[in-house]
Amino acid sequence: MKEQIANVQADALAQIAGIADMKALEDARVSILGKKGSLTQVQQGMRNVPKEDKPAVGALLNQARAIITAALDDRKAELQRALDAAAVAGVDLTMPGATLPEGGLHPISIVRDEAVRILRRMGFTLSDGPEIEDEWHCFDALNTPDDHPARNEKDTFYFDSGKLLRTQTSTVQARVMEKQAPPVRIICPGSAFRRDAIDATHLSAFNQIEGLYVDKNVSVGDLKGTLEYFLKALFGSETAVRFRPHFFPFTEPSFEIDVLLQAAGQAPRWIEIAGCGMVNPAVFENIDKATGKQLYTGCTGFAFGIGLERLAMIRWGIRDIRLLIENDARFLAQFQ
Amino acid sequence: MNISLNWLANYIDLDGLDTKQMADMLTFAGIEVEGIQQRGVTTDLVVVAQVMEKTPVEGSDHLNICQVDAGEGKLRQIVCGASNYVVGDKVPCALPGAELPGGWTIREGKMLGHASCGMLCSASELGLPDKVHGLWILPQDYPIGTPIRNYIDTDTIFELEITPNRPDLLSHWGMARELAGITGRALKADPAAAPTAAAQTRAAGDFITLSAPDVCPLYTATRISGVKIGPSPEWLAERLISIGLRPINNVVDITNYCLFELGHPLHAFDAAKLTGGLNIRRAAEGEQFTSLMEETYTLCTDDLVISDASGAALALGGVMGGLDSGVTEATTDIVLESAWFTRSNIRFTSRRLALGSDSSYRFERGTSPWNVLRAAARATQLILECAGGTAEPVLVGGQAPCLVPEENAPTATVLTQGTQALIHYALDQVSLDWKELDVMTNASVPHMEAARILRNLGLKETTPTATTWDCPPWRLDLKRSCDLLEEIVRVYGIDNIPATNTSIFVEESAHDRAHDYRMALSRKLAGAGFREVQTFKLIAEQSIDPTIASVQHALPIKPLMQGDIIRVALPISEDHSTLRPSLAPGLIAVAARNINQGMEVLRFFECGRVFRNTGGGKGRDIENEVLGIFMAGKLAPASWDNTKPAQAGYQHLHAALDILVPKANLTLTPARDRDNAALGADIQLNGQPCGYFARLSLESCRNLGLPAECYYAELDLRKLQQIATAPYKAADLPQFPGSGRDASLDVPAATRHADIMKAVEAAKQKLLVSCRLKDVFTDPTGEKLPTDRKAMTYTFLYRDAKKTLTAAEVDAAHKAMLDTLAAKVKSLSFR
Repeated sequence: MKEQIANVQADALAQIAGIADMKALEDARVSILGKKGSLTQVQQGMRNVPKEDKPAVGALLNQARAIITAALDDRKAELQRALDAAAVAGVDLTMPGATLPEGGLHPISIVRDEAVRILRRMGFTLSDGPEIEDEWHCFDALNTPDDHPARNEKDTFYFDSGKLLRTQTSTVQARVMEKQAPPVRIICPGSAFRRDAIDATHLSAFNQIEGLYVDKNVSVGDLKGTLEYFLKALFGSETAVRFRPHFFPFTEPSFEIDVLLQAAGQAPRWIEIAGCGMVNPAVFENIDKATGKQLYTGCTGFAFGIGLERLAMIRWGIRDIRLLIENDARFLAQFQ
Repeated sequence: MNISLNWLANYIDLDGLDTKQMADMLTFAGIEVEGIQQRGVTTDLVVVAQVMEKTPVEGSDHLNICQVDAGEGKLRQIVCGASNYVVGDKVPCALPGAELPGGWTIREGKMLGHASCGMLCSASELGLPDKVHGLWILPQDYPIGTPIRNYIDTDTIFELEITPNRPDLLSHWGMARELAGITGRALKADPAAAPTAAAQTRAAGDFITLSAPDVCPLYTATRISGVKIGPSPEWLAERLISIGLRPINNVVDITNYCLFELGHPLHAFDAAKLTGGLNIRRAAEGEQFTSLMEETYTLCTDDLVISDASGAALALGGVMGGLDSGVTEATTDIVLESAWFTRSNIRFTSRRLALGSDSSYRFERGTSPWNVLRAAARATQLILECAGGTAEPVLVGGQAPCLVPEENAPTATVLTQGTQALIHYALDQVSLDWKELDVMTNASVPHMEAARILRNLGLKETTPTATTWDCPPWRLDLKRSCDLLEEIVRVYGIDNIPATNTSIFVEESAHDRAHDYRMALSRKLAGAGFREVQTFKLIAEQSIDPTIASVQHALPIKPLMQGDIIRVALPISEDHSTLRPSLAPGLIAVAARNINQGMEVLRFFECGRVFRNTGGGKGRDIENEVLGIFMAGKLAPASWDNTKPAQAGYQHLHAALDILVPKANLTLTPARDRDNAALGADIQLNGQPCGYFARLSLESCRNLGLPAECYYAELDLRKLQQIATAPYKAADLPQFPGSGRDASLDVPAATRHADIMKAVEAAKQKLLVSCRLKDVFTDPTGEKLPTDRKAMTYTFLYRDAKKTLTAAEVDAAHKAMLDTLAAKVKSLSFR
């Protein structure tokens, strides 16, 4: 009996060592340890073993079962390891990724949203107005004389109805002040139109962001502080900004704002980026006259207008403004 | 306007200023410097040289090899392309290292294999006006080797942009006066002061008739007899050449010189060509006028002409002289005009006739009547100096217009010019509210300093408290307190005013929320693989170029009716003539452009405004914010992983719409045919109409070079926002399991999903949670299913919120559902 046990154990271990797949391993488990397995059959010989030998033979049987089970488990683990290794063996992680359709925002949207976010942090709220405007909101209310050069069919798009495409987002200044009492602290991103031929630096339809702050005691210092903060937040705290005296009918004093552009390989140069100034009292008087209320006379305020195309061109070094309206995907893919 | 630094230096001390400092000074005075030109050279490396030998270069028809003596002890070889010189001529020679105007530096080099060690120069190459074409031939008495700068004046020309409110800066004296006022630099003698003080004036009597005093209230004429017409003296010619004018003759040049010196336009008539006195009248309707440029114009009654007793129009007042009345070589007696015209009339005439001149440019911006006699007197002085003759007293017709508001006129300070016939000029009196200054500048500008600034600019306080100021006669733009505040801030410098930042609390507006929603929506679409574009709002009505957006491809939410589109009256081009009624034309043009570049994945969107008229051109103009999405081509770029990506179909655009408002129920309802859509459907969100969904017409796609399957959806952004941002609550997870049952429906091929869903809804099965289309099967061969039939498999999910359903309960519910389907959907059977 003892000899039989030793033989079965030796055969079993030899068989297990030679097994190469999981199925053969499970078959072997059944053929050795199962009901009709070789070890189970030897075990049935126990009833013929003399009583005094039973404990020793029994111990031997249990030991053989434990050794074979362990061998089976070890072999199973080995086989699983090999299978797992094989499962990832051919994978080349250096392969390029699969492709998804690429999406993204237009650069004007990116820069507009950034400008809006900065200005809203400074307490400006968004406003809006029609792009098809009347002469009153576009010119008269804004103190633009009847014989001003902009007020003719060569420079401004008119309609047969007498209306026009607004030449500036400043129209929204008049629209907002007509409707609400001061204080006013608004911005308005939007389109404006001028009868310019399209070239590398001009579009006949372009985007601006307008700002207006009207209250008691608004000062030139506020104008300067607000726009310096805005431009530094947009272009970086090191950005050099200068205010040049200028002329606009609806602000007095008026300024143009330049930022110092430092492009790689080029001498630094000042680039005009915005127009601004203190609201001309004549504008307040025009609004009050139109509404019949004395809400704005005696107020002070500042207004500014910034070209969004210009912001984008400076920001990303875009040389030709037409790229912004052509929408070539190879161009747009550069912005994130 | 061009300003010559040399000329300017006659009136203001500019010592010690370099070009950059000068440019900064102008910039911070509010005068835009558009360009700076250097005239002449300052280097010692351009010298007088004599051409000693000249041999043609073989194989060239114009190049010569010259040996020149530049005073270096040996000859220098230079290859030269000019032809106007001979051996022995003296010419300017730029030696290697010399920097010439325009910023280029001379280097030794080779031309056609011959060494060339320098350059022989023309006058223009030295930044001077060319008198002849070719090399500048120097006088023989110039010693060889002497730097050329010893013989020429260098100058710097500033090209300046003057804002329309400052016509007083459109002259050298005006510019000098401004710069002196701003910087405190010394202003030299006013060139018009002495001649004006000495000027004799007489009433014009019959000689001047002012028939249109509203347009020309003041006209002066000065007769100068016995002048000798000839070339201008060198100094005068050079002044004009330096700012880009061509000298003509001494008298004409002096009128031009005075215009650029004092800013007031003048005109000289040949007295022999005048008949009797001058009549300043409105033109007759249809009257012909031939200018000195020999162009003929048809006039109207808004134009002003200077005519004489013959009735002929001798000049177009304030704009241009006539062909036959001007000064020529034969002229001996002249009549010099100096007058004042109303700006709006001059602007109207100049614009209508597209005829501009240095004169009309100044009159239409506004000239000061105070300058009328000054310019006449100054020009007369110069004519007597340069052309001889004797001048009669200035004949004055009319009076200077009072530009001061009526209520201020009685108290205005009045300046007087002339002797017998006096010209009166009332000064504007402007009150200054010092409190306004303190508010505007946060009290950072000392009042003493502010008053000093105003005084330097020529204003004078008329009250001890300096609350009222007389404005100088040249400043027509100072009318109100804010005009004075502007001057103070401009000169004091915004740099010297501390930046502050006051801020107030403002409520979020509907526009804020619209902006936020639009950005969130755009980012979602970008994340889903769509590229945002921004297309032009002005499009063509029709175009055969696929990359030009045109109205014919519009797919607006509501179909276009006759007269809905809005066209500008005077477009720049037909390609940009009409306001877009839909975003589709722009997006289609973008797709066409990108497919030309080889793009295979065409997924674009735009958020923006569309325009239409509500009543066929007679109603209101409506502006709406919409979202347009275009989809065609492959679903993704091909890769090793997916070498043949599927083509985009309508279901993919539908999927993109589903993610925009994931909680809403988006349905498409087939809509009436449109010409440019092969298929079209109205889009509903939770049953509310809010957009249009289309497959482009196949013909359009062929014509545009686009894939046969192109899909487009346009949605109303405001409605989308309303639905997407409506408040909602989260639901608990179901506590009891649901049971699914599949049903395979055998229906006619024409049966629509919407028909089935309608029947499902009609069943009003309370236990039904969802019904999802699982599979659609057709068999083109007809073997497994007739070709006019299709099999649609749906999964129905049943659940009770309060208990676990038994199989029998689920079966009963499902059976009721199938019975309803069989009853409601035509020719339906179960497979």
